[in-house]
Amino acid sequence: MIVDDLFDLVSYRTHPEPHIVVDSEVCRGCPHRACTFTCPARCYTWSEERDRMEFAHETCLECGTCLLVCDREALDWHYPPGGYGVRFRLT
Amino acid sequence: MSLTRTSGSFDAVVVGAGPAGTSAALGLARGGRNVLLLERGEYPGAKNMFGGMMAYCPAAEELVAGFWEKAPWERAVTKRTLSVMGEGSSTSLVFRAASASDRPSVGAGSTSDRTLTGFTLFRPVFDRWYAEQAAAQGVTLLTGCRVEGLVKSGDAVRGVRVTGPDDVIETPLVIACDGALSLLAKEAGLHSGFRTEQVALGVRALYLLNEEEISERFGLAGREGGTCEFLGCTEGIRGGGFVYTQTETLSVGLVVHLDSLKERNTPPYELLERFVSSAPVAPLLRGARLAEYSAHLLPEAGMRMVPRLSAAGLLVAGDAGGFCYTNGLVQEGMNLAMTSGLVAARVAAEALAEGDLSARSLARYQKELKRSLVLRDLATWDRASGLMHEDRLFTEYPQVVSTLMEGLYRSDGAPKQRLGPLVRRAVKDRLSLRQLVADLFRGGRGYL
Repeated sequence: MIVDDLFDLVSYRTHPEPHIVVDSEVCRGCPHRACTFTCPARCYTWSEERDRMEFAHETCLECGTCLLVCDREALDWHYPPGGYGVRFRLT
Repeated sequence: MSLTRTSGSFDAVVVGAGPAGTSAALGLARGGRNVLLLERGEYPGAKNMFGGMMAYCPAAEELVAGFWEKAPWERAVTKRTLSVMGEGSSTSLVFRAASASDRPSVGAGSTSDRTLTGFTLFRPVFDRWYAEQAAAQGVTLLTGCRVEGLVKSGDAVRGVRVTGPDDVIETPLVIACDGALSLLAKEAGLHSGFRTEQVALGVRALYLLNEEEISERFGLAGREGGTCEFLGCTEGIRGGGFVYTQTETLSVGLVVHLDSLKERNTPPYELLERFVSSAPVAPLLRGARLAEYSAHLLPEAGMRMVPRLSAAGLLVAGDAGGFCYTNGLVQEGMNLAMTSGLVAARVAAEALAEGDLSARSLARYQKELKRSLVLRDLATWDRASGLMHEDRLFTEYPQVVSTLMEGLYRSDGAPKQRLGPLVRRAVKDRLSLRQLVADLFRGGRGYL
C-alpha cells in the first residue's frame, strides 16, 4: 500500500493559524460532505463523536478542491500566508 | 515589507511567478518597464507540482534568447504512448519522432525537429530559473508574498493588497497570473468562480529510479524522454492516467474531472494506488522508490470557462484565464501560459505607452489572444474537449477497444472473423446503435 506513505513524503512549513476555516454548522446539514473524500490530502474528516468537520490545515496541498466541491459556502478559504504551507522539493 | 508604500513606482504588478506571470514580467521589463513580480511561495515553483511535458514553445525564445539551450529541462520527449486499458487487456499507440537524442543539445536544435519535441521538467527548478532570467532583466521579484486582493477605485483596478488591510501596492496595471482558482479575476467580477465541472484534479506520485534504467525501460536513448497516457484507468470516472519520464524520476498520476470524482464518492489517492499497481503500470515502476506526492487543479473546460480577460487596470493570463486543455490526445497548458504572458506584456506595453489602461483599451488583449495560438487552440479543440465530458468514453469505450483487439488476436481454435463482426460483438450489450451513431457523429465533429 502506498497511500499511507504518500502523505508522509510531503514537506511543509506550517503556520500556526489554519488558512481555511470551516463552518461546521453548515457541514451538519450537508448531504454529501464531498470534501471528506475528494480532498487529495485527506484534510477533512467528519467526526460523528464531536458532530463537526475536522480540518487538518497542516497537510493541505492548497489545490482548491474543497473550495470548488463545497456548494454550501461553508469555507472561509485562503491560501496560507506568504512563504508558508506546502513546498514541493522535487516535483 | 519594504516594497509597500512605494505607490506609483511600478508600471505593473504581476501576481504569480509561474510561466505566465514570469513571461509577462519579463516581456514588460525587456521593454524598459519597471515591474514587480509577486510570488506567494518561498521561491518561484515551490507551490508547483506539474508533472507533465511542456510542448516546445516559440514564445519562450522571444523572451529569452537561446531559451531551450539554457532552460533546466529534464528530458526531451520524442516518444509518446497512448494506451487504452480494458479489463483483460490494454491497447497502445506509440508515436516516435526521429531525434539526435544522444547529443546533449537534443530538442534544442541539432538534427532533431524541435517543434516535435516536448520537455519534461521540474517546476521548482524551472520556475526559479525562469524568474532569475526575469530578475536579470530588471524585474523586481518578491517571494513569500501572498496577495490578499485587489485595490479598486470604482471599476478600475489600482493595485493589490498584500498583508493587512493597510498594506497596499499601487500600480496602474495588475496582471493576474494567480493560477487555476483565478481568485483575482473572480474578485474583479470577470467570472463567478470556476466550477467542479470546469476543472480536473491532478494527483501525482514521484518515483526515483536511475537514469539508465529509465532509458532502458522506456526504450529511450541519451536525453530522450517518453510520455505514457492512459485512458480507461479511472474506474469510470472521467479522466486519465500518466507516466512521464524525467532524468532519474518518474511522474505517475491521474487527472480526473472534479464533478465526476465528487459524484463517484472515490478518494483520488485510492484511485492512484490502484493505478500504480495495475498491469500496464506496475512493471514500469518496479524497484522505483516513492519520493513525493502532490495535487493540483487544472482548467479543463475549454472556451466555455474562459472568463472575460481584462478590466480597467487588469489583465488575466495562464491557468487563471482557463488556458489549459486536453482533447484526450494532446494536453497543453504551459506553452499557452507563456504565450498568454507574452501577449499580455505586449498589450500592456502599448497601453502604458498610450497612458490608457481603461477597460476599452485593454480589451485588445482578448483580440490579440484570439489571433494567437492561445485562444485558437482552445477554439480548435473546443468540441473535442467537450467530448471529454462524455462518461461513455471512460466506461464503455475502453472495454469496446479491448474486446475488439482480443477478438482479433484470440486463437482458440474457432474460425477467425473479420473486423465487422468483431466490432459488432464488442459494441453489443455496451452501446445502443443510437449512442454509437451519436458518439461517432460528435467525435467526427470534434476531431475532423
